[in-house]
Amino acid sequence: MTDLGQLLLAGLSVGGVYALVAMGFAAIYAVSGVLNLTQGEFAALAGLVAISASGNGFPLPLAALLGIVTVVVLALAIQRLIIAPVRRMTTLLSIILTLGVSTALKATMLLIWGPEGRGLDPLPGNDFTAAGVAVRSQYLWILGVSVVVAVAVSWFYERTLAGKALRACAEQPVAARLAGISVARASLVSFGIAGLLGGIAGVLASPVYFSAWDSGLALGLKGFVAATLGGLTSIRGAFMGGLVLGVVESLVAGYIDTGLRDAVAFVVLIVVLVARPDGVLRRQVAARV
Amino acid sequence: MAGIRALGAAAAVAALLVATAGCAEKDTGGGTDESGPIAVGAILDITGAGASLGVPERKTLELLTKKLNDAGGINGRKLELTVEDNQSTEDGAAKAMNQMVSKKVDLVIGASRTGTSLAMRAIAETNELPMLSMAANVKVVDGAKWVFKTAQNDSAVLANVVDYAKSKGWKTIGLARDSSAFGEGVAETLNSLGKADGISVVATEKFAPDATEFTAQMVNLRNAKADANLIWGIPPAAALAQKTYKQLGITAPVMQSHGIGNQVFLDTAGPAADGLIAPVGRLVVADQLPANDPQKSVLTTFVNNYKAAYNETPSTFAGHAWDAFQLAVDAFKAVGTDKQKVRDHLEQVKGFVGITGVFTMTPQDHSGLGKEALVLVTVSGSKWQLAPA
Amino acid sequence: MARGREWIGFAVFAVLLTAFPLVAPESIVDIGVYALIYGIAALGLSLLMGLAGQVNLGQAAFFAIGAYTQGMLVTRYGVALPVAAVVAVAFAMLAALLVGLPLLRLRGHYLALATLGLGIIVTVAATESDYLGATSGIYGIAKPEFGGRRYDSAAEFFWLLAPVMFLAVLFARNVVAGRIGRALGAINDSEVAAECLGADTFRLRLQVFVLSAGYGGLAGVAYVHWIGVVNPNAANFPLSVEFLLMAVLGGLGSVWGAVIGAVAVEFLDEGLRDVIPRLIPHASGEVQLIGFGVALTAVVLFVPGGLYDLWRRAVTRLRRRSATPAAPSGSTVDTTDETPVLSRPDRPAPGTTLLSVEGLVRHFGGVTALDGVSFDVRAGEIFGLIGPNGAGKTTCFNIVSGVLAPSGGSVRLRGTRIDGRKPHVSARARATRTFQNLQIFGSTTVRGNVAVGRHLRGRAGLLRAALVLPARAEERAIARSVDEILALVGIADAADRPAADLSFGRQRLVEIARALALEPDLLLLDEPMAGLSGGERADLARLLRRLRAGGMAIVLVEHDVEAVLALADRVAVLDDGVLIALGRPDEVRHDPAVVAAYLGLDEDDEVDETADDPVVRAAVRELDGG
Repeated sequence: MTDLGQLLLAGLSVGGVYALVAMGFAAIYAVSGVLNLTQGEFAALAGLVAISASGNGFPLPLAALLGIVTVVVLALAIQRLIIAPVRRMTTLLSIILTLGVSTALKATMLLIWGPEGRGLDPLPGNDFTAAGVAVRSQYLWILGVSVVVAVAVSWFYERTLAGKALRACAEQPVAARLAGISVARASLVSFGIAGLLGGIAGVLASPVYFSAWDSGLALGLKGFVAATLGGLTSIRGAFMGGLVLGVVESLVAGYIDTGLRDAVAFVVLIVVLVARPDGVLRRQVAARV
Repeated sequence: MAGIRALGAAAAVAALLVATAGCAEKDTGGGTDESGPIAVGAILDITGAGASLGVPERKTLELLTKKLNDAGGINGRKLELTVEDNQSTEDGAAKAMNQMVSKKVDLVIGASRTGTSLAMRAIAETNELPMLSMAANVKVVDGAKWVFKTAQNDSAVLANVVDYAKSKGWKTIGLARDSSAFGEGVAETLNSLGKADGISVVATEKFAPDATEFTAQMVNLRNAKADANLIWGIPPAAALAQKTYKQLGITAPVMQSHGIGNQVFLDTAGPAADGLIAPVGRLVVADQLPANDPQKSVLTTFVNNYKAAYNETPSTFAGHAWDAFQLAVDAFKAVGTDKQKVRDHLEQVKGFVGITGVFTMTPQDHSGLGKEALVLVTVSGSKWQLAPA
Repeated sequence: MARGREWIGFAVFAVLLTAFPLVAPESIVDIGVYALIYGIAALGLSLLMGLAGQVNLGQAAFFAIGAYTQGMLVTRYGVALPVAAVVAVAFAMLAALLVGLPLLRLRGHYLALATLGLGIIVTVAATESDYLGATSGIYGIAKPEFGGRRYDSAAEFFWLLAPVMFLAVLFARNVVAGRIGRALGAINDSEVAAECLGADTFRLRLQVFVLSAGYGGLAGVAYVHWIGVVNPNAANFPLSVEFLLMAVLGGLGSVWGAVIGAVAVEFLDEGLRDVIPRLIPHASGEVQLIGFGVALTAVVLFVPGGLYDLWRRAVTRLRRRSATPAAPSGSTVDTTDETPVLSRPDRPAPGTTLLSVEGLVRHFGGVTALDGVSFDVRAGEIFGLIGPNGAGKTTCFNIVSGVLAPSGGSVRLRGTRIDGRKPHVSARARATRTFQNLQIFGSTTVRGNVAVGRHLRGRAGLLRAALVLPARAEERAIARSVDEILALVGIADAADRPAADLSFGRQRLVEIARALALEPDLLLLDEPMAGLSGGERADLARLLRRLRAGGMAIVLVEHDVEAVLALADRVAVLDDGVLIALGRPDEVRHDPAVVAAYLGLDEDDEVDETADDPVVRAAVRELDGG
């Protein structure tokens, strides 16, 4: 039983990171139909910047903040310079574009920080054991923050007027514009939110899971799988998808074969896409003519 | 829109110019003539998964080249070192090897790891080019005529593990190994070496070389309840695995591989490293060796030189590179640059005192190191210490 | 077709391939070998992306499958190189078939990411499999040896691979220019129209997907004999990205572009690796990925057609455009000709029921658009379908043509049920349609549009594309039929103009010509008169009468009630999803229910020609044809 508990906890923790990245995917896709493959790199970059800042004497909270702010600025820049200028953006096109950007980003991180992975200092807290399960305080930080963030972001998207306006842009861009909503600004805001989410993910993950120039790839892909589980447009779905994916990965690694861990996300992806293209956690949408 | 098109065209032209820079005829120097500089190529895993090996190896080779040339070279000839990065990929290694061949180098040092070395091996054999690899797996030299290696074979390392287990009365071992070529065959070798003493592997867990999550593996090891556990990997994975091992409260003694013999491991594992046992090359405990140890003076000199140049202690991988370089220099000094003669000389090396150990090569054994090349160390207070017997 | 100019291109290519190893220094030839190897994989990817409009982010997976299979067969089972190569490529194609069957039903970006996942699954599977050598993979694969000669220098290997590459490009070019390529181009422009002309979208895309994987596998075979080693890294994601870059940089769907792209990327790779460490000391290796990433982004943003597109534009600008003849504004058809046209000996006799619609029901959420509609259409008649806005005409039409599935009821074509099945099934049963919202294939000429209509009348598949001659004969026959139909419909003068350049009315005629090219027995026309001038309407009406005389059945959905009543043999009137009248035009014209429906009155309301409301009087007059 303690094994199950241990595996569940580990799965929830890494799942929390996936969830944050996944919500970043959903945040952008729900507004503009753009699939932003640099989402993983946001997390990696935030971690690396925070580590450098912290290594240069900045106190931990400030270093973390610096990492997050850097990534938000980057996200806004990407939207402005790369995404916005394209007149007829399709999701497929956005994949290739952001793939190019993420490749360049990765290599830049390699250039600046070198190939080794590093960890940020952990957030304050003591590790303890409860019911035979070793609990790292960092796990609790990750879970706690991701839950709070998920609630905040989904509240924003679903309950506030601004959030609803953002979502309107993806469904009916012309009508939204007629209603006075600036689609361009909506896209910009959504990228900023995605950057924020990615940055938080990176800073939280770094103490436990390490940041390296190429840690963004796996994180981004798994975050995408999690977002797809949730239907790609739902913040809540992405959050749940992230946790589910993390737990499934951990259980498969623990009970079946540790070597299969990285394949889990993609097997899940393919199964979900073939069986329920609109996402597992999404309610059935009536077919449109 | 025309402006954008023009920009695109200009960018295309610029890219073309950069590409032609790559077409610039690469210098062909060295060769089999007996005058002029000696060309040595080094193909290392500098970026990618093998970076923690390749970077110190490059540093060592560059340091030694400088020292050698400052001291007058070999019989008046300078040594020209060309370092290439294979990016820890097989085609990177093969590409670089082909280029070394067309550059007509006299000898190649590389690669840092098994997979990349294997990619180079076929080319070395076909082109009859002496090659000194720093990879761990014996597959690299098994049956080869032109390839030698300076890192200990897994069997040498594992023989130490078996001896230690036997001395402690352990019968069952749990294994968590790196899923790359570094960790392959460990369970099988351990089982065959330990058979005579009734020691066997009761659980095998795998982790990716870049893994950061080890809960599943350690939970399974905990459940296997082996007498002792062996973590076989390189940092940071090995260090993070060590941390998880301790965090889960596993009380059984833990051993590590020779891959952890560097400061990165200690820094990453922190206090969790205390108490582990690992067979490593004597380099990390050079200062604790008795005065009559044959390797002591070579080790101490190397450590001091490296520290003076790079302000950090050299890792065991740096040591492998030192051995490769000095073996090559030794051969060049003795027989010149004729490739066949160099190869033959290397095959007959006896009692060569290196960093990784004392080398004695034979036609059947192109590794030249036995289990005596390693000592058992432990970690105490985040420092390496010779293990109590 | 620019066949003449193309032979020059191929000849130049052959010369370049032969001469390259002779003039270039060895290290450059080495790069050239990689350009060839990876170029073959990029070629396959470019075919897929350009023809099928699908992105495959896991081309490296098929590359690895080909490499592993070849490695295994040659080293462990001692199979001869050429035999093993055939098996390896077949294996990669089989894998693509298995993967494509479920995955190709997905929308574009989902497929892209699913294929990405495929690459990772292959890597993990190879790592975990001891049979495949786990992480060390398979090594010790010998260089090719034929007739006692070992091909182990870069120049020799290049020459060995050059004919393979040449044939690969030739084959790809034939596929693109032939029947399959034409159909896929049409699908890219308008999937629904292509389907209605008989293009089985799924099957065609699957074919190209499998072909593209075959190219990937072939590249893997070449790779493994050059490097001598294959391990799980061969399927890694950065390699798939490199293939993508080659295809995108060269120009998607452009066969030559893929070749150019492969060469460009390989040399860019070398160049960057050389330049960057000079600019930034101690930066080496994968840092050239910056260049790749920037290149990929920049190409997509600024030069979406890739290098090949730049080349073509430059060439076109240099070449003087031949003067296009002034297009006459009217048709060139004899305006009095009423002879029957497009009859077929196998066609069912006039009066035979061709289309039988029974109890058709369709819901959209809570709205019932059709509620139990039944009628039939016979050979040799023009059948009109009219009704006020929102009556359900379009829904009915879409269901009959296979674009929409009904919620209940059935549609039968000559006894075979076609409801709920894809439109190409109807097309095979010789039923096709035109569209109210024009679905012109904008990327090709008028001639190209109509040629798609001949898709089902041809049989050249992928294999025939390889053997050029049989396909050539068929293409000539197709060209003849196209010319005949263009003349019949009256747009022969615009044959070589881009279809998108034509006026709205003439585009309508293109659609009709296209539909006629299928030689249908049942022709469904969706608002064909809309946007036509008076003269054009008269011409179209005459054409329809001639087609009827030839035995065709025509269903006409129209808002122009007058035109329908004048032309049709029988008319069905829909209102609110229900059939309220069915009969000869004069019967329907005076049916009070019909009048009421158009005026929005209840059935019981009196409709009086002398009513006070001038609108009512006008409406009644209109229906009376007065």
